[in-house]
Amino acid sequence: MATPPRMPLVLPGFEQVRRSWNATHEAYAARLLPGEYYVTINDECVYTTLGSCISACIRDRVSGVGGMNHFMLPASADANSWKAANLSAATRYGNFAMEHLINVILKNGGKRQNLEAKLFGGGRIMENMSDIGMRNIIFVRDYLKTEAIKVVSEDVGDVFPRMVVYFPVTGKVRVKRLRSLHNNTIVEEESRYITTVAKEPVRSDIELF
Amino acid sequence: MKNNIADLLKGVDGLVTLPHVFIRINQLVEDPDSTMADIAKAVSQDPSFTVRMLRVANSPFYGFSSTIGTVDKAVAIIGTSQIRNLALSMSVASAFSGLPNHLVSMDNFWRHSLYCALIARILAKQARRCDPEAVFTAGLLHDIGELILFNRLPGPSHQALLLVLDQLDEMPIYQAEQQVIGIDHAEVGGELAKQWTLPPMLVECISCHHAIERAEHYPREVALVHLANSLAQMAEVDTLETADVTPVDPLAWEITGLDEDIIEAVIREAQAEIIETEKQFFGK
Repeated sequence: MATPPRMPLVLPGFEQVRRSWNATHEAYAARLLPGEYYVTINDECVYTTLGSCISACIRDRVSGVGGMNHFMLPASADANSWKAANLSAATRYGNFAMEHLINVILKNGGKRQNLEAKLFGGGRIMENMSDIGMRNIIFVRDYLKTEAIKVVSEDVGDVFPRMVVYFPVTGKVRVKRLRSLHNNTIVEEESRYITTVAKEPVRSDIELF
Repeated sequence: MKNNIADLLKGVDGLVTLPHVFIRINQLVEDPDSTMADIAKAVSQDPSFTVRMLRVANSPFYGFSSTIGTVDKAVAIIGTSQIRNLALSMSVASAFSGLPNHLVSMDNFWRHSLYCALIARILAKQARRCDPEAVFTAGLLHDIGELILFNRLPGPSHQALLLVLDQLDEMPIYQAEQQVIGIDHAEVGGELAKQWTLPPMLVECISCHHAIERAEHYPREVALVHLANSLAQMAEVDTLETADVTPVDPLAWEITGLDEDIIEAVIREAQAEIIETEKQFFGK
């Protein structure tokens, strides 16, 4: 096997994201955990596994700078409050996740008018749970519509967990549905993440571009 | 860490037991002096089992043209070794209900197993020279070791599942188990089947379904269950992409003489049958 090339430099702020060489794709692969996001200007991929969480994959289709996030809206007392009030904590958390991704892309040479998005996740993987996946899907579609960022493809909803692999430079995506053997493990990881999120106060220091 | 399979199985003693009616049928089928009447009598002693068995015997699953109204007739038409398979298939899910776990829901677990059973049966009919009903039972039982690992070693099993999810490339769960636990569900299931004195064909299918080159006496049946396992995963997530599921050993196609062209038709047939078969076998 050929020696992998040197790992491309990471953009500041993403040092904690774990990356490793993947021989199949002949590229470095960054592994996103729930709540994380990653932006790159290099030819590398970013992957994650999604249950009812959602990932927006956003890139500048001209320069190739782009990345992925992985988040979920925290449950609010009133399940429909996100619709009524943009100020609900849940929506603010979603805005936060989306704005971070977009702002870092713009900071690294992306142009707003060149941005395109792909959406994944939001599965209903536990039969007897309320459809939190759908809340996430509706939120993110709504958000992108308001921001006038075009969604060029999506694979959302349904009953399957997914693994998503995204190459920001080319915009190429591979989605694999995961077997139900993994449902409980994924739900547990996502619940652990959402519990931490719900406890943290939402910061209001988002820079708007 | 290397775990002792014998110790694992000792831990589930009394928690997983096959019903008396199956144990009795199993003994009788092995006994050269027993008659069909003996077997029919053993079946009849369990009324609820009798009712369920007659229901399956009369279902499209078997497709007999005449109605089977009595146990004697069922044993005569279906055959004694078939009755044993049927008894095993119908009791295995309840046998394991005493062994709960937090890692996979029983519904999801048995759905995969039943998909594997249905597909193994469809493949066996096409491959010929093996018993489709026996292979069905092998498919239904192929992952029973998983329920033992998940119950006895929940921590390491959870680590194995996380390891699979962490890989960008497809990593079959048995490889993750070998890496984390030192043994895999196929070995554990095979040992339990041996302890239960199940027919050697079932033991070999369970213990070798991820290592078909290790099959000594039933390579054909083992290869069918191996193929059925991957195709069952495809049917479950509704994909035709073989790269998305546990990789198939090319040797399995060679041994069975089957061709990859059949995959789509086989998956569609199984998907069309799964709901009805769930009702018959698990009473859902």
